[in-house]
Amino acid sequence: MTRPPVDATVRAVLKDVLSLSDQRVAAFDDDTPLFGALPELDSMAVAGVLTEIEDRLNILIEDDEVDGEMLETFGALRRFAERKVAG
Amino acid sequence: MIHHYDWAGGREAMIRFGPATGPVVVLALPLFEEANRTRTFATGLLRQLADRGIGSVLPDLPGQNDSPVATEHAMLAGWRAAFAAAVAATGRPAHSVTIRGGSLVDHDAAVLGRWQLAPAKGEALVRELFRTAQAGGEPVEIDLNAWSDEGGPVAIAGNRVSRPLLRDMNAADCVRDGLVRMVRLETDPAVADRKVAGVPLWRQSEPGNDPALAALLADDIADWIDRCAS
Repeated sequence: MTRPPVDATVRAVLKDVLSLSDQRVAAFDDDTPLFGALPELDSMAVAGVLTEIEDRLNILIEDDEVDGEMLETFGALRRFAERKVAG
Repeated sequence: MIHHYDWAGGREAMIRFGPATGPVVVLALPLFEEANRTRTFATGLLRQLADRGIGSVLPDLPGQNDSPVATEHAMLAGWRAAFAAAVAATGRPAHSVTIRGGSLVDHDAAVLGRWQLAPAKGEALVRELFRTAQAGGEPVEIDLNAWSDEGGPVAIAGNRVSRPLLRDMNAADCVRDGLVRMVRLETDPAVADRKVAGVPLWRQSEPGNDPALAALLADDIADWIDRCAS
């Protein structure tokens, strides 16, 4: 099974699950705030984002790994996903 | 048109689309909240099938949508019995079309073939339900392996769900034997007979639609039904 690049996958998940525009998601950088700053990303949507990231990257995220920090910025979420993919 | 079907546990509604003769598609929506997010898309898909001369029914499962059964009384065995009854009630050569968790309910149905869109393992669905509950500040406390755990229903995002249902779902998977065709989104790395472009409508917090995808899938299903008959 080949894995897509993590950065592109995390962007695509945020776009697809939160119904964001291409332009908006393409403009995300490491410092772009997510949870608490994106109105679309409420606590219910977090579950969908994380599960979709799991499916697309074929990783498993444990509940105790989910905290405010990993969702604080796009960079934090991308780095978290990269660490999981690296195992 | 709204009709009804009877099963061992009572009577449920079903909506009929298209011609009243010939092969019929019986559709199982995803489970719980995912059903609400995909209903518009799924009914669009059934209308597209009607345009291709294929009739269909969309049955309510006990404890879902407008069912008279309370959600907390929903059981996997009940869903399977009800879906099988809905198929039998058509009296026609039937094909199941199931989406996500709907692929966990067509096991007992007398269908010629099974067509699955993004079928989900029960285990993954249960994990997502728990994650949703946790995100909502109401973590679920349950031992999925302890059959002696006979506590009451657990609250998940406004639904009360029985412990036996969660345990049964956790162990359930889609049918993989016989005439089965599995279609997934191209973003999903899991194995499939075909990958199609599209967004996972079942994960979007705002219900969306994708008529172009529905048209493409209606063609795929119509072709599949032809192939099952030959």
